[in-house]
Amino acid sequence: MRHSFKSVRAGIQVNLDQDEREILVQLLGQLDDLLDDGLESSADPLAAMVGMSGVDPDSAEPPPSTPTDPAVARLLPDGNRDDPDVSAEYRRLTEFGLRARKRSGARLAAEALGRPEPIVLAQDEGLALLKSFTDVRLVLGERLELRTDADAEKLHERLWANDGDPTWLATAWIYESLTSWQEDLVAEVAKKR
Amino acid sequence: MSIAPVELEKPDSAQELARDVPWVTIVWNDPINTMSYVTYVFQSYFGYPRAKAEKLMRDVHEKGRAVVSTGSREEMERDTEAMHEFGLWATFRKDD
Repeated sequence: MRHSFKSVRAGIQVNLDQDEREILVQLLGQLDDLLDDGLESSADPLAAMVGMSGVDPDSAEPPPSTPTDPAVARLLPDGNRDDPDVSAEYRRLTEFGLRARKRSGARLAAEALGRPEPIVLAQDEGLALLKSFTDVRLVLGERLELRTDADAEKLHERLWANDGDPTWLATAWIYESLTSWQEDLVAEVAKKR
Repeated sequence: MSIAPVELEKPDSAQELARDVPWVTIVWNDPINTMSYVTYVFQSYFGYPRAKAEKLMRDVHEKGRAVVSTGSREEMERDTEAMHEFGLWATFRKDD
């Protein structure tokens, strides 16, 4: 069986074909857009990158609350379930930086996948892609209404039985492909530790 | 041979620690993240040995959640933020 990713001396080689890489780059761009709350341009990108501060000090915006889109809420979940004030404080401190790091990671991974073959991922690119795989799968999983482990098993069965409308089947197919690619990548990244 | 003075008041570990570190980070089960990825995150971020990382991963998967770290509130906020960056479903809370 072909592995989508393979450790080589210089890093991790990408063995996805061009169509697969194009799908991935598109999804990474959508992730980047989904996480855009329109605030980034006014902030200090360096501070956000290194996670120095979750707060944009120049922002006149009110502190962020739990995102209304359930997929974004899954990417940026509440930090505390007992006390709304503690949860709000956590979000105020972290959400801005988390958004910025998730977005810059998605861009880094997309740029690497857009290089001519053979593509060998450097360590930071491999790690960025690994995390972005998770974020894209969290979003697709939310759209596919995967709430329990049983839902995930059922998705697998329905996909292989061709049981669903074309849009659902296409989304489920992409979701399962991403799962398998991520499994290959995590094995290779773990080897490099 | 040491000339250093004998430590007279060494804090009594368990109780002292409980008072100092009353917060925990919890990772919750979700149907998206795979067992190998969760294990990798516990190993790479917390530096846990493979066996401990796998045990925590199984607890998350089978019991629905696991306490993955213990410390001050600030430390647990930092760990929760790191878990969120990895896409795991984490919360922090005061330990009971």
